[in-house]
Amino acid sequence: MAQVKDLEELVLNGDMSITEFACAKIDGSIESMREKHPELLWTMGTQKFVWDNCRDAQKNGQKLLFFGGSVPVDLFPVFDCFGFYLDTIPFRLSTNPNLTSKYIDEAEKFVGASMCGLDKTELGGWLCDAYGVKPDLFVYNSVPCDSSRTVYPAMEKIMKVPTFSFDTPFRRDDRGIDYLAGQIEDFISFMEEQTGKKLDWEKLKIYMQNSNRNFELQKKCADLRKHKPCPLPGRLLVLNGSTNALSSYPAVGDLFESELEVGQMMIDLGMGACPDEKYRIAILQNMIWGHARIMDWMEREYNAVAVMDAFGFQGDVMYEHLDDRKDCLRVMAMRMQNNPMIHGASGPSEHHLKLVDEIFQNYDPNVSMFFGHVGCKHTWASAKIITDMIQEKYGMPTLFIDLDCIDGRYKSGEEIQVQISEYFETVVMR
Amino acid sequence: MDYQKLFESDISNKVVKEWRTQGKKALGVMCCHVPEEIFYAADVLPIRMRGTNCVDSSEAETWMSSFSCSFARSILQYWLDGTYDLDGFVASDGCLMASRIYDNGVYINEREKKGQFIRQIGAPRKYTPRTISFYKEELQDLIADLEKFTGNEITDKKLREAIAKHNEMRTLIKELYGLRKEKDPVISGTDTLKVTLASTNMPVDEYIELLKALLNDAKNRTPITDTRATIMLIGSALDNPEYIKVIEDKGGLVIMDALCFGSRGLNEPLVVDDNDVLGSIASYYLSRLVCPRMMDKHVELHDFIIKSVREYNADGVIYERMQNCECWGGENVLLEKRLKDEGIPLLTLEREEQMANVGQLAVRAEAFVEMIEKEG
Repeated sequence: MAQVKDLEELVLNGDMSITEFACAKIDGSIESMREKHPELLWTMGTQKFVWDNCRDAQKNGQKLLFFGGSVPVDLFPVFDCFGFYLDTIPFRLSTNPNLTSKYIDEAEKFVGASMCGLDKTELGGWLCDAYGVKPDLFVYNSVPCDSSRTVYPAMEKIMKVPTFSFDTPFRRDDRGIDYLAGQIEDFISFMEEQTGKKLDWEKLKIYMQNSNRNFELQKKCADLRKHKPCPLPGRLLVLNGSTNALSSYPAVGDLFESELEVGQMMIDLGMGACPDEKYRIAILQNMIWGHARIMDWMEREYNAVAVMDAFGFQGDVMYEHLDDRKDCLRVMAMRMQNNPMIHGASGPSEHHLKLVDEIFQNYDPNVSMFFGHVGCKHTWASAKIITDMIQEKYGMPTLFIDLDCIDGRYKSGEEIQVQISEYFETVVMR
Repeated sequence: MDYQKLFESDISNKVVKEWRTQGKKALGVMCCHVPEEIFYAADVLPIRMRGTNCVDSSEAETWMSSFSCSFARSILQYWLDGTYDLDGFVASDGCLMASRIYDNGVYINEREKKGQFIRQIGAPRKYTPRTISFYKEELQDLIADLEKFTGNEITDKKLREAIAKHNEMRTLIKELYGLRKEKDPVISGTDTLKVTLASTNMPVDEYIELLKALLNDAKNRTPITDTRATIMLIGSALDNPEYIKVIEDKGGLVIMDALCFGSRGLNEPLVVDDNDVLGSIASYYLSRLVCPRMMDKHVELHDFIIKSVREYNADGVIYERMQNCECWGGENVLLEKRLKDEGIPLLTLEREEQMANVGQLAVRAEAFVEMIEKEG
C-alpha cells in the first residue's frame, strides 16, 4: 500500500478525493494491524463500515444522506439511505494536518478564523470539490453551536440537494421534547417525499432494536471503566464519541461487544489499561482527535488513564414501547438532545454541570482536565462554572489546555504534552 | 425641545434610578428576540444590554474565557461591575454567547443570593408555524413570570397599546433613515447609531418625543457635503459610534445598515392580528431579519442588503464581523458572490468590542473609499 504521505500528496493535488483517501488509509491500517496487532482489528470495524458505505452507498442502490449535528439517525436506513455524519471528515483528517490546513484555509477565505475547525474543514473540503461523492439529501440541526448553524445553512445552498433542518431548543423538558418530536414527524414526511417510500414501521423497529442493543452495550463498556484499575484505554473514549452517528447499525454493537469482551478479560486478569494505575482522569470537554496518541502516552508516562469524558458520556435513553409511534419519536428527540457534544455543550450549562458531576460520582477520578477546543467558545464560556463545582465539591483543581482538535497548526502534540507534563509534575504528583 | 439626549450613547444608570424611584422595575434585555412590548405592557423599563466603551472586561473573561465574543463579555463585565444596576435581565438564546451570559448570570445570582430576576426564553432558529407556536409559549411563560414579578397583569389590550407605541417609534426611525437617502443627508451614520443606541437606555415614550423633535429640526441641520463615497454597514452587533466615525472621517458616509442596534432592530412595524396578539408578536420577532442566527433567512437577509444598497444608493458595503461572533462569521460564503454579481464592492473587517487597531481600520476604510468613490 502507498505511504500515507503519498496519498496525502494526491489529495492535496486534487488527484484523490477525501473519501478515497479515508478508505485507502483505513484499509492500510487494517493491513498493517493484521500483521502486527491482529488482536486490535476490531477497533477498525466501524471506521471501515462508515467510509466504505459513504463511497459505495449510491452504487449499492441506496441514497447517500449527509448529516450535521444531532438528527434522528435511526430513520435513515428505514428509507434505504446511508447517513454520513459530516464531522467524520475532520475527525478522520485530523491526523493529517496538511489536509485539514488546506481545507481550513479554503474556508477562511469566506468565514471568520475563529470559527470551529470541524465546520471549516467540512466547508473547505466541499468548496475544494474534494469529497469525491455528492449526497442525495442533506439533514442538519441547529446544534451544537453557532459555527455549525452558520456553516450548514451555507452548505445547504451550495450543495443544492433537498435538505431538511431541525431546530433544537435549549430546554430539555416535555415542551422541548414534544417540539422536537413534532419536527421528526415533519422529517418523516420529508423522507417519504424524497425517497418515494412510506415509513415501514416494522422495519424501523429492527433499527430501533439495534439502537437499543448498541446503547446498552455502550453503557456496559462505560460501566467497566468504573472498575479499578480501569480496564480500557483512554483512546477508546475518542472512538466512542462518534459512534452514536451509526447507532442503528449492528457494526457499532459489534465494536462494543469486542470492547466489552476485552475489558472484561482485563478485569478477570486483574489488569488495567496502564500497568500500575495511579491517576484516573476525567476529561471535561472535547477529545484530542488529532493527537489521540497522547492518551497512550499519559498511560505509559504517568500511569494515568482517562476514565471518562464529558463529550461521549451520556444517559441511556431507550426505546421501550416499540409500537407506540409517539413514544418512539419522543425517545428519538431525547436522544437528539443527549448526543455527544449536544448534551454538554449546546444547552444550558446546568446539563453539562450535571453530567460532569455524575462522572465524578461514578468514576472516581483524581485528575481533572479541560481540553478546550478553541472552536467551542460556548463550552469555554461555562468552564468556570464546571471547574468551580469540581474544586468545591471534590477539592480538585482542573488543568486547562486550549487546543484545536482539528487544526494541528494551533498547537502541536508536543506542546500539549509539555503542558500535561508540567501539570502532572507540579500539581498532581506534588 | 432639546433632543441632544439622543446623542448620548454612554451607558448611564440615571434613567434607571429615576424609573425605580417610582417603585417600578427595570430589567436588562439581552438580544433581539426578547419583545420589549411585553415589558412595556408590564410597566417595566427594558434596557437593551450592550458593552459600549467597555475597555476592560477581565472580570467577565474569568467567566467566559478569552475565546468568547468580546461584545458578550463586555455585557457580562458591565453586569458584574454594576455599570448596569438593574432588577435582573431577560435573555433569549439568540446565540450561544448570549446563552452563556445567562448561565453565568444565573450561577452568580444563586451563589451570591442576589435574588435577581433572570430568565431565558428560547427563540427558534427557523420561521415556521411550528416554531412560531413554540416561541409563543415561551413568551407566555415570560408574561406569567413578569406578572408575578411586578404584580401587573399583562392583557391583550395592554400588549396592543405597547405595539402601537413601539410601532410609532419604528415609524419615526424609518423616517430618520429616510433622511439618509438624500444626496447631502443631514445626519451621519455616526449620529444615527447614537440615536438608535439611545433607544436602549430610556423609556419609549420619552424616546418618541425626542425623535419627533429631532425630525422637526431636520431642516435646520447642516447637510453633509464632503462625502467621497456612501456605504452600507452590515455585521455583528455594533454599539460604538466611534467605529463608524473612523470610517466617516475618511470620507465614507454610512447611509444605511443591517445592524441589530440599527435598522434591523428598529425599522419594520409589527402588524397585529387582533385575534392573536401574542402570536403576532411571536411571528414578528422571529421573522425580522435582525441577524443571521435564523438558519432559513440568510438569502432573505442578503436580498435585503442588496435592495438597501440600491434604495439608499450606496457605493459599497462594509461588513464588520466581531471575532468569535459565529452568527455573522459565515455570511461571505454566499453574500460575497452575490454582491460581486451585483457589482457591489465589499470590504470585510474583523473587529473587537474594544476599539483597538483604529489606525488599521482608518487605513483600510480610506483605501476602500478611494476604490469606490466616483469621479466628479
